Amino acid sequence: MTATFKAQDEDSPLRAPRASEAPVRMYGVSKSYLPGSWALKDVSLEVGRGEFVFLTGPSGAGKTTLLKLLFAAERPDTGQILVLGRNIARLGGGAVPALRRRVGVVFQDFKLLTRRTVEENVGVTLDVVGTPSREARSRVFNTLRQVGLHGRRNDLPVALSGGEQQRIAVARALVGEPDVLLADEPTGNLDAELSIEIIELMMAAADRGTTVIVATHDRSLLERYGRRVLRLEGGHIAETAGDSGA
Amino acid sequence: MTAIVLRSAWQGLRSTGLMGGVAVATIATALFMLGAFALVVVNMEGLLDDFGRELQVTAYLEEGLAEDQAKELAHRVETVEGVEFVNHVGKDEALERFRAMAGGAALLEGLEGNPLPASLGIFLRPENRTPEGLAILQASLDGLPGIEELAHGQEWVDGYARLAALLRVVGYALGGVLSLATLLIVANTIRLGLYARRDEIDILELVGASRFFVRTPFLIEGFVQGALGGCVAAALLALAFGLLVPELRYGLAFFLGNAAPRFFDAGEIFRLVMGGAGLGLGGAALALVGGNS
Repeated sequence: MTATFKAQDEDSPLRAPRASEAPVRMYGVSKSYLPGSWALKDVSLEVGRGEFVFLTGPSGAGKTTLLKLLFAAERPDTGQILVLGRNIARLGGGAVPALRRRVGVVFQDFKLLTRRTVEENVGVTLDVVGTPSREARSRVFNTLRQVGLHGRRNDLPVALSGGEQQRIAVARALVGEPDVLLADEPTGNLDAELSIEIIELMMAAADRGTTVIVATHDRSLLERYGRRVLRLEGGHIAETAGDSGA
Repeated sequence: MTAIVLRSAWQGLRSTGLMGGVAVATIATALFMLGAFALVVVNMEGLLDDFGRELQVTAYLEEGLAEDQAKELAHRVETVEGVEFVNHVGKDEALERFRAMAGGAALLEGLEGNPLPASLGIFLRPENRTPEGLAILQASLDGLPGIEELAHGQEWVDGYARLAALLRVVGYALGGVLSLATLLIVANTIRLGLYARRDEIDILELVGASRFFVRTPFLIEGFVQGALGGCVAAALLALAFGLLVPELRYGLAFFLGNAAPRFFDAGEIFRLVMGGAGLGLGGAALALVGGNS
């Protein structure tokens, strides 16, 4: 499947997509790391504003590749990807940071700054955009309160449990009030109870208008929430299921 | 934004731990070697300068030249290209000097009158203490009325010029090689530090940090680590100088004569520290380019 469309001028400042535009759109996207082997093949999808979508499939199905394409860590071989109106395939290197400031990312292994405090870990998202110190501290405190970690803000991540560390990562992704939140197996290292905690934090973000895509192979989560599910198999979208509304 | 970048650099320095210590120690070691070499060079240059200051051309004056004529001649010689100053030694002063050098009057007993001629001691500027400078002087004095003979120690001037040139070439070559080696060592040490903090760079890029935001704290850290390394090297050099010079005084006296070995002055220490800072900055830049961050 292919689509032709006029993408936003890549050098213009980021603008919010029009209400009718889905913040995440992919058209006929393929990506290969080795000749003859496709990590993704002819994938098309749209995820609307405030929508919460599960991306599932077996290991190696292409979930991580799809997410990496959405935050411009990888470029597609063919096809078009529009994130917040920006065409990832044609995004200049200098425009990537501006995009990422509006796309929060959470990983299975948390990716925290181990020698920085909880507060510094969350605040780094605001530091990179030059948020004044007082405002940054206030926003970090409020976000940490949302994830229930405001009492631990001066601790180092190593002093916290796995679930708490993932909540730091979620707070870091959310403190900048992103338009899109991507999570790659965010509950992969957590038990069932903590997994639910993390997913519900992200659902709350979706309720506030953030578009959320969560890659997981945890069937219990898919069944529990009945949200829209995109199933990847061998690099293809094999099926979509569930509620597609926001 | 600058304040945030500086804070980020401070946080980086604070959290760098062992790797930061290793970087400072490596820079200090490399600069210690470079500084020790520079110390040898500045002392040898000082020795050569002293030696050069003693090099003089002597113009013996004709017998019977009046005192005022001799003084006028001295003024004329002072205007010759490359001459720093001229010292007029009259006949009586020459005799006094000879007496002092000969250690008494016994040698001069039986002499009638004063057989020693008056002379002009001609001192050249440092840059003219060369065979070419000497040739210019000789050509200018040739045929000047009142001058009987020139004694210029050509072989001494030639030797001095060769030694000064050799020291300069060896100094530049060894200094260049040592500086390059230091830069590479520093760059590699800082690159190791960067690898250890690759996750941190990934995270900064993930949350949308610009290249300026990611790189600048590392450059500042490199600069600070380099300056700290320079301070440690200067302190170690001062310690080694203070401990070793008294122990080696006889050996040093053989090479330096009466000249006392000297340590770096304040300006040279500042340059050593800033050199370390520059190496740290350059090393960090090289490591960032090599690391493609």
